[in-house]
Amino acid sequence: MKGALLSTDGLGVRYGSFTALSEVSLSIGANTIHSVIGPNGAGKTTLFHALTGRVRPSAGRIDFNGHDITALTDDRRVRRGLARSFQVTSLFHRLSVRENLRLAAQGRTPWQALKMWQPAERNQDATAIADSILERLELTRVAGRSAEELSHGQQRRLEVGMAMASRPLLILLDEPTSGMGIDDIATMKRLIADLGRDHTVLFIEHNMGIVMDISDRVTVMQSGRKLVEGAPGEIRDNPEVRRAYLGSMMTGGRA
Amino acid sequence: MDRPIFHFALAALVALLLPFFIRSGTLATEVLVFAIAAAGCNLLLGYTGLLSFGQGIFFGLGSYTLGLALIHTTLPLLPTLVLAMIVGSVVAIVIGALSIRRQGVYFVMLTLAFAQLFYFLAYTFSDITGGDNGLIGIPRRGIGPLALNSSWSYYGFVAVIFLISFAALQRIATSTFGRTLLAIRYNGERAQAIGFPVRAFKIAAFAVSGAVTGLAGALHALLIGIAPLSDIDYHMSESLLVMTIIGGTGNLFGSVLGAAFYLIVSDTLSAIWPRWLLLLGALLIVLALFIQKGIWGLIESGVGIVRGRRGGPDAMAPGVSGSERP
Ligand SMILES: Nc1ncnc2c1ncn2[C@@H]1O[C@H](COP(=O)(O)OP(=O)(O)O)[C@@H](O)[C@H]1O
Ligand SMILES: [Mg+2]
Repeated sequence: MKGALLSTDGLGVRYGSFTALSEVSLSIGANTIHSVIGPNGAGKTTLFHALTGRVRPSAGRIDFNGHDITALTDDRRVRRGLARSFQVTSLFHRLSVRENLRLAAQGRTPWQALKMWQPAERNQDATAIADSILERLELTRVAGRSAEELSHGQQRRLEVGMAMASRPLLILLDEPTSGMGIDDIATMKRLIADLGRDHTVLFIEHNMGIVMDISDRVTVMQSGRKLVEGAPGEIRDNPEVRRAYLGSMMTGGRA
Repeated sequence: MDRPIFHFALAALVALLLPFFIRSGTLATEVLVFAIAAAGCNLLLGYTGLLSFGQGIFFGLGSYTLGLALIHTTLPLLPTLVLAMIVGSVVAIVIGALSIRRQGVYFVMLTLAFAQLFYFLAYTFSDITGGDNGLIGIPRRGIGPLALNSSWSYYGFVAVIFLISFAALQRIATSTFGRTLLAIRYNGERAQAIGFPVRAFKIAAFAVSGAVTGLAGALHALLIGIAPLSDIDYHMSESLLVMTIIGGTGNLFGSVLGAAFYLIVSDTLSAIWPRWLLLLGALLIVLALFIQKGIWGLIESGVGIVRGRRGGPDAMAPGVSGSERP
């Protein structure tokens, strides 16, 4: 597909003898918001692991921004402009919120962090990025607290902020609203839509309201495979999708 | 309590006051030498989360390097110390690079295996190392007009190096690099995910730790005039780890306390009872059971309680004591 920022061809992942992902061919258009849905265990997170280089695919290839990145390690993919958030919050819990973001910003140019003689606060670029994200996530007030002291909703926002901090071309969000209350969900929805303006966003989500409202395209996964893909409207009306979900999860949508 | 300058002042105070409390210049010097080595160990354990049994190797190689250089060459003292640091660092890079290919218990096992290997090498190549007898007859060269031939003049010299090393390690611990190590300790997976090549950073931590530990080993050999086989024994790694842990990990001054405590208690107990190791063992068990954050942690909570009674601001608030440190 033309204008694709990321594409996969026949991507597969095995955990031992168990095939968690097979024959997944995706194409994510630049500057689109693309969501991935599917029941638990469908392989959505595994797909993210493969895209970010956390697990090595057993088959297929990944192209990103015009380059084959299949063999690149995860830290190198960050330098190419790929960043992610995690389904289970994964922060530097004892470090301050600001430092969490400062580190994440620094991750884009990691070799500069080998400077043993430069005080950490002296990294003006990274600190400036951290401050602007704090502002955007409305976390400025708690910037000095350690990450573990934040509320769940704040931690989930920081989790997304960690991915934003490396200023990626493509940002992958793994269930950003998991465990959130209604108010926090609304904030997160606005944030994701907003991110879509200056990034390409690929996100996994169970909340159909968000998926249907802000996605340009939706990919449905089941049992490690891609079931269907289409615009939100097509997905909502697709009988196969309805069957896969037994109708249960489609009720959250606007329709 | 968390300000580096405050910790440096405490370290300077220890160096200044030790001579008033310890009659033996050798023991006092040993405290500072091992404080340097424990601080080096702390950089790996407390800041990077790596439990390395390789520390004895770096320490022992520092001793041998200094001994061989002073016996066989006319190299002045300071370049010899630098040489010991380089050797410690290079070997640490190699051992670190090989060991961090595995994680957790397997990492520890690998460093332990290297410790055994190097001990055996030192034992076997007795032509070079003196084997069981150690490398004897190391001359204590002065520096320019400064002769270091009395035990207290040597103490002064070591105290200066101790303070320089302590300040340098503090600087490194609070640097961009040091904070990245801390991030790796807290959450290595996330550190990798945000773009840090975690392995390279761990190897760099080994390099620093190896240099510092090699320096301590060299100072130790110069102190006793020989490079004993026990300096490279894996028991050395064990002692250094124990000092680091009882002092408190993740806090450099804790390592000074740990080294002082370990050496002074050992010295006192050994004077009382020949089976003193038994007592030391029992004491360590008690410490491990009851003070999990080490001596420094104990002091911190002590200060917290006192301040709490006086109604000091936030003294007991969760996360205040060491919220930025492990
Ligand atoms: N590290 C792993 N080892 C073995 N199996 C795994 C591992 N991670 C995930 N799985 C399995 O792979 C399947 C897909 O998991 P996952 O990608 O997390 O699904 P989803 O994110 O869609 O809920 C599940 O059956 C899960 O149990
Ligand atoms: Mg998942």
